[in-house]
Amino acid sequence: MRSLLEISNQSLFVYYLVSNLIYLLLLITAIYRNTWHRHRLASLRLEQVKMSPFTPPVTLIVPAHNEEAFIVHSVQALLSLDYPSLELVVVNDGSRDRTLAELKSAFQLRPTRLLYIPEIISAPVHGIYKSIIEPRLLVLDKDSAGSKADAVNAGLNAASSPYVCVVDADSILEKDSILRIMAGVFSEPDRVVAVGGIVRVLNGCGVFKGELRQVKLPRRSIEIMQVIEYLRAFLIGREAWAQFNALPIISGAFGIFRTDLVRKIKGYRTHAIGEDFDLVVRLHRYMQEQSKDYHINFIPDPTCWTEVPGDLRSLARQRARWHKGLLDTLWPNRDMLFRRRYGRVGSLILPYMWIFEFFAPVIELIGYSTMIVAAVTGLLSREFFVLFLLYGYAFATLISIGSVLLEEMTYRRYSDWREVAHLLLYCLFEHFPYRQFTLMWRLQGIWQYMRGDFRWREMKRTGMSSAAG
Amino acid sequence: MDVASRFGPELGIARLLLEAISFSLLGILLLIGFIVLRRWYRGRYFRRLNEHTFQIRSQWEGVVNGRVPARSWRLNRLDCEIVESILLDTIEVATPEQLPPLLNCLRSSGLLDLRIHQARTTLGWKRRAALVALGRTRAPEAIPALAEALEAPSEETRIAAVRGLGRTGLLEAATPILDHLLESPLHIPEHAVKNALASCCQNFPTILLRYLSDARGPNRELLARVLGELATADLGEDLIVLATDAAPEVRASAARALGNAQPSFALPVLSVLIRDKEWFVRLRAVVALASIDHSTRIRPLLHALCDTNRYVRQRAAWALTSVGTNLDHILAQVVETQDNYALQAFISELERSGAIAEVVDALEQHCEDSAGRILLQALSAGQQNMELASKSSTAAIAGVT
Repeated sequence: MRSLLEISNQSLFVYYLVSNLIYLLLLITAIYRNTWHRHRLASLRLEQVKMSPFTPPVTLIVPAHNEEAFIVHSVQALLSLDYPSLELVVVNDGSRDRTLAELKSAFQLRPTRLLYIPEIISAPVHGIYKSIIEPRLLVLDKDSAGSKADAVNAGLNAASSPYVCVVDADSILEKDSILRIMAGVFSEPDRVVAVGGIVRVLNGCGVFKGELRQVKLPRRSIEIMQVIEYLRAFLIGREAWAQFNALPIISGAFGIFRTDLVRKIKGYRTHAIGEDFDLVVRLHRYMQEQSKDYHINFIPDPTCWTEVPGDLRSLARQRARWHKGLLDTLWPNRDMLFRRRYGRVGSLILPYMWIFEFFAPVIELIGYSTMIVAAVTGLLSREFFVLFLLYGYAFATLISIGSVLLEEMTYRRYSDWREVAHLLLYCLFEHFPYRQFTLMWRLQGIWQYMRGDFRWREMKRTGMSSAAG
Repeated sequence: MDVASRFGPELGIARLLLEAISFSLLGILLLIGFIVLRRWYRGRYFRRLNEHTFQIRSQWEGVVNGRVPARSWRLNRLDCEIVESILLDTIEVATPEQLPPLLNCLRSSGLLDLRIHQARTTLGWKRRAALVALGRTRAPEAIPALAEALEAPSEETRIAAVRGLGRTGLLEAATPILDHLLESPLHIPEHAVKNALASCCQNFPTILLRYLSDARGPNRELLARVLGELATADLGEDLIVLATDAAPEVRASAARALGNAQPSFALPVLSVLIRDKEWFVRLRAVVALASIDHSTRIRPLLHALCDTNRYVRQRAAWALTSVGTNLDHILAQVVETQDNYALQAFISELERSGAIAEVVDALEQHCEDSAGRILLQALSAGQQNMELASKSSTAAIAGVT
C-alpha cells in the first residue's frame, strides 16, 4: 500500500512537472511568435489587400438554428465586413421559429433553382433562396439533422469560393477579421490549408445591431474566468502549436479552410460532438497520408466575439460536451498515435491531447485522492502535501498571468487599468476553486460518453442584445 | 523538529518543490511588475506623443515648406518619428500636385537619406521597417535601395522590399521586380508580387507585355494574371497574340482584357475564346462579353449557355439576363438550342433576377401567335423539369441520409 501511494505521488509529481514545463515552453514560443507576427504585419497594408483584384473570394457559411432574434443583424453585420469578394451562405437548419421568415422579409429572398450538387451528404435541402437586394447572399433551407456539422456541410456544397469560413450566427466578427485571417493564407498560399483566428468573450461588451461597439470585461466571475481561459487557450496554446505546425483545433466559431480539401475529406463528420476538432485532425490525417507539405495556421489578430455561458449549469454542460468531443475525436483517430507517417501530429500533438487534456481530470482526481489518503495516513508529510498543492497552484497561475501579459503586449483589448487589475486578480482564483469545478465537469463528460449519452444540451443564452453593456 | 525529519523520504522532492514554488512566485511578481511598468511607460509615452503631435500639427505648414527649420525637430527622436509619420500618411493620399512639397521636405530634412541608409546597412526588422517606410515615400530615389533588398537572403526582407516597391506606385519600381523575375524566382508569396506589379504598372501595362514574351513557366502565368487585370484596349493587336498563346492563363488574361476593348475588335476574338478547351478561359470570355454592350454578343453567349461546364453556363445565363431587354427573344433562341441544361440555367437566372414575370407578361401578350404559345409551354415545362429534378435529388439525398 505504502509503495503504491509513493509511486502514485511521484508519478503525479512528474506529470505536473512535465505538464507545467510544456506550458512554459508554449508560453515562450507564443511570445516569440506573436512578436514575429506583429513585425510581419507592419509591411502588410490591409487596404491594399482589400483593393487588390488578386484577393481570392471567400464564402462565409453561417449555420442558423432558431436564431430569429438576431439573424438579420448578424447577416447585415457579416455583409458589411471589409473584404472585396465575399459570398454569404446562411443555412437555416430546420429552425422552428421565424429565422427563415425574418431573412425573407429583410433581404427580399426569392426561391431560386441553382444547381445544388450534394457532394457532401447532408439532410435534405428543400429550398435555395437568393436575395434581390444583396447578390452576395444565398440562403439554404434544410431539414435539421440535429447537428451544426450537417448544416455546415450543406453550406459547403453551395459554396463557390476557394476558401470557406465557418461563422456562428450568434458570434460577431470584427470588420477586418477576414482580411486579417486571409493574410495567413497569403503568406504561404500553396501550403496553408486552414487558418484559425482568435475567439474572445462577448459577454459584457457593448453590441448594437450585431456590431461590437465597446469592449468591456464581463461582470460575473464565472465569465471573467472564461476570459482568462480563452486568452490562455488562444494566445498561448494555439499560437504555440501553430509554430510547430501541429495546431490540433480551429475554433468552430471562426476559422477559414480551403474548400476543395474540406470537400475531399467529406466535410464535417455529421454526428461528431466536437466537429471543429474532428475536422482539423482529419485534415492533418489527409495531408499526411498524401505526403503533402502543408501548414495549418493560427493568426492572433483576426477576432471573433462570442457569448460564453453565464451560469454554472450551462458552463458545466459546455465543458462536459467539450470533453466528450475530445474523446469522440481522439478515439477514432487512435491509429495515428506514434505512427511515423503522421509526423508531429501522431507523435506529438495527439499523445499530448490524450495525456495532458483527456486524461488530465482523471489523473488529477487520482492525484488528489492518493495525496489526501497519504497525508491522512501519515505516509506523506502534511508539509509536503501543502507544498505540492502550492507548487501546482503557483505554476499554473504563472501561466495564466503569462496569457494576460501576452494580451497586454499585443492587442490590449481591455484598455482600462481596472479591467487588467481584475484579470490579474482572477488569475489567482482560476486554479482554486474554478479549476476543481472544471475537473468535475470534465469527468462528467467522460462518464456521459461511456454511458453513450451524446445529447446536445442547450446553453442558456442572454442574446446579443442583452450583451450590451 | 528539523526539516529532514519533517519531510522524511520526500526531502529531495520537497526541495525541488520549494525551488519550483519560489521560481513561480518570482515569475508571477516579475510578470505583474512588467505589466504595471509597461502600462505606466506606455501611458507616459502616448501623453508625450500627443503633446508633441499637437505642437507639430499646429505648425505643419511651416515644417513642410521649411519655415520651421528641420534642425528644430530633426534631432529629437520623438519629433522626428512624428514628422515622418505625418509626412508618409499625407504622401499616401496626396494628389500628384500635392506631392512635390512633401517629397521636398523628406529630402531636405534628410529623412529620406536616413531611411535609404537604414535600408542598406541595417538587418532584420529594422531593415524591413526602413523598406516599408521607403516604399511609402513614393520617391524615385528609394527604388535602388528597395531593389537591392530583393537579393536579401531573408524571405521576410524580400517581401518587405516587394511591398515597398509596390507602394511607390512608380513604373520604374516595376523594372527591378520584372528583371528579377526573368532571372530567377523571388521565392516569396505570389500575392505580394502580383499586387506590387499591379500597383506599379497600372498606368502603363504594356511594360508587362515585353517581359511576358521572355518569361517562362509560373512567372509567365503570374505576369499574364497581372496583365489580365490591367490590360486596356490600348494593348490593341497584342491582345490577339496573347489570345492565341499556348498557356491557358495567358489566354484567360487576354479574354479578361478584351472586356475593356472596342466591340468591333474584341467580339471576334472573344467568339473564338468562348470555344477554348480550358473552362476558365471560356468563363473569362463570358465575363468579358457581358461587359461589352453590343447586340452581336448574344450568339457567342448562347453558345456558352450550352457549355459542358456549369460555371460557364451559369455565367452565360447571368450575362444574357443582364442584357435587360428582349428577354423573350433571347428565351426563344435558348429554346432553339434544344439544350435542357441551357434552358434550366437561363430560367434559374430569370427567376433569381426577378425578370421572369416580365418575360411571362411579354409572352402572354403574344399568346395568340403560335411561337408565343410554344415559348410559354417551353418555359413552364422547363420550370416543371427543374421542380422534378430538385425533388428527385432531395429524395435521393434523403435516401442516402
